[in-house]
Amino acid sequence: MIKNGSMAKNSLNVIRNYPAIPIILSLLLAFSLLSPFFLTGINMESMMAANAVILIAAIGQTFVLLTGGIDLSVSTVISASAVLSGVVMASTQSVFLGVITAISVGILFGLFNGVLIGHFGLTPFITTMGTQLIARGIAFVVSQGIAVKGTPDAIVFFGFSSFLGIPYITLVSLGILIICSILLTQTTWGRKIILLGSNRKSADFVGINTKKIEMSVYLLSGFLAGIAGIISVANLGNAIPGVGDTILLIIIGGVVLGGTSMNGGEGSVQRTILGVGILAILTNGLNLIGIPFYDQLIIQGILIFIGNGLAMKISSKSSLAM
Amino acid sequence: MNIIKKYLSKKRWVAIVFATFFLGVILTFVSPVFLKFNNLQSVLVQASVTGIVAVGMTFIILTGGIDISLGAILFFTSALFAKIIVGTGSYIFAFVAAIGSACLLGLLNGFLVNKFKMSPLITTLATYTMYRGMAIHLTSAQNVPVPREFGFIGNGKIAGIPVPIILLFIVFGIGIYLLTKTRFGLYVRAIGNSSQSAIESNLPVKKVTLMVYLIGGFTSAIAALILLARVGGLQSGIGIGVEFTVIAAVVLGGTKLSGGAGTVVGSVIGAIFLVLIDNGLNLMNASPYIYDIVRGAVLLTAVIIDRVSIVRQTKHLLEQKAMRIESSKNI
Repeated sequence: MIKNGSMAKNSLNVIRNYPAIPIILSLLLAFSLLSPFFLTGINMESMMAANAVILIAAIGQTFVLLTGGIDLSVSTVISASAVLSGVVMASTQSVFLGVITAISVGILFGLFNGVLIGHFGLTPFITTMGTQLIARGIAFVVSQGIAVKGTPDAIVFFGFSSFLGIPYITLVSLGILIICSILLTQTTWGRKIILLGSNRKSADFVGINTKKIEMSVYLLSGFLAGIAGIISVANLGNAIPGVGDTILLIIIGGVVLGGTSMNGGEGSVQRTILGVGILAILTNGLNLIGIPFYDQLIIQGILIFIGNGLAMKISSKSSLAM
Repeated sequence: MNIIKKYLSKKRWVAIVFATFFLGVILTFVSPVFLKFNNLQSVLVQASVTGIVAVGMTFIILTGGIDISLGAILFFTSALFAKIIVGTGSYIFAFVAAIGSACLLGLLNGFLVNKFKMSPLITTLATYTMYRGMAIHLTSAQNVPVPREFGFIGNGKIAGIPVPIILLFIVFGIGIYLLTKTRFGLYVRAIGNSSQSAIESNLPVKKVTLMVYLIGGFTSAIAALILLARVGGLQSGIGIGVEFTVIAAVVLGGTKLSGGAGTVVGSVIGAIFLVLIDNGLNLMNASPYIYDIVRGAVLLTAVIIDRVSIVRQTKHLLEQKAMRIESSKNI
């Protein structure tokens, strides 16, 4: 009896921490009933591959949202790093140089955002809106608006291969997820981020260098956007300048849907993969049963709303309980 | 010099007026075509869509909110209008339905922000996705051409003045009136300054919030009609990214994103400033891909200058305070 009670309490705690789980389970159940193709290996593989880029960028965004900021530039930094690395790879045929280029582009943009927001105290929304435009411009100027051709075969091969039914690029994103999760929960840096997000004044008061911490999250977000850029080249086979244009809202929506608060201080990387997972399953499943994309948008919007509302309700209850 | 500084710190929108004037002078030297009446007129016509939505967005941002969905409302309104006018041919019905539905969608934003206390950014992000889906659903993702005579709203003239400019000035005038001459405008600022004290002093916070999002929807509808008439029909790209251009115009115009301080004048001039940049790049035959870089750089420059001036002001104030304390000690 006692054991049962504690189990119920445990599962309640899990749901409290991961408000997305009930949604994801019911979606999985519904789509596997509605479409026989949904649960097949091929479908799962393509779904995972299609969302690796979004997941990587969303992990970076989680850190930014945790400090109470926002990074609108991730999407087009992905484009810029994809295009620049694509150009470097096309001329040198070296994947190594391509990866280095992509990551440095990401780091440069992240550093730029971080210095302006963290050090000079500019508003995150407007600052990253500015860098978003600049990154997009660079991607389109360098590529002249068309896909960069001449990607080395090695990276294309990497993008289309998989291990035990899981695409390599998904493995990369899962690796990043694990590392970032450890960084966030097991290091003082991670705890400082959470404290900064939940109460900036007290974080300042206990002697945390809030400027540095704030800078570091934008740097991380930029760095991950750089990696996402090269992964997008692997996934699509070419560097495409418009790759980031449409995914910004999915990235932020995914993070929020997972239960990370926009006001900072509340959230985790694990929640983010669940939120991104919901949107991925939803898109994939609705495509399979033949719902046109515009009706999917309506459902997505409602779901982002419900997910966020649920997360807020649960988190406010749990903080009351404490 | 000090007088100018003082004036600039009091009237934040004056900065964008100077910047616009300065840009105008530069463009006059860059291209002889710039000062031609036709070019200036087309600058205003181009600025009308951004400018009109910017008036609505100013009210929303002044309360400390934000509305990402305005571009989607604009798109939905265009779709509904095009669909009705092609289907029934009745202009009155189409106008009423389009403007009414835009107000309703804006109202829904306000209602959701009020009711669920989620951040306006995420609330309107969700409705952005929904509204856009609804609009494409309405037209089954097809382009809908509108009758030629409807082009009057976008390209026609009344007494020699292009209709979009007239509409811009009407919305502009109403915006200024509402913000500076009515109790409503006072409440809008009060809520933006501190929603907590606004609630405590029993201001109708919820009603005002509903109202500002409704105004946002309404201005999007007016802009939608102009855009639809100018393009000549509904296309899938209409309204994408409008919200960000509009927010940029509002911020350039000196309105604080955190709410409380800002003007309608500044936002409209901000919109004109953005068009001037495009116009200048166009006159210089720049590659269309460079536009984004210049816009981003301008936006960043503006916020950096703004930040520096705020830091200086607070420093100045603190110094004055310290001096006063010093002198009172001496006595």
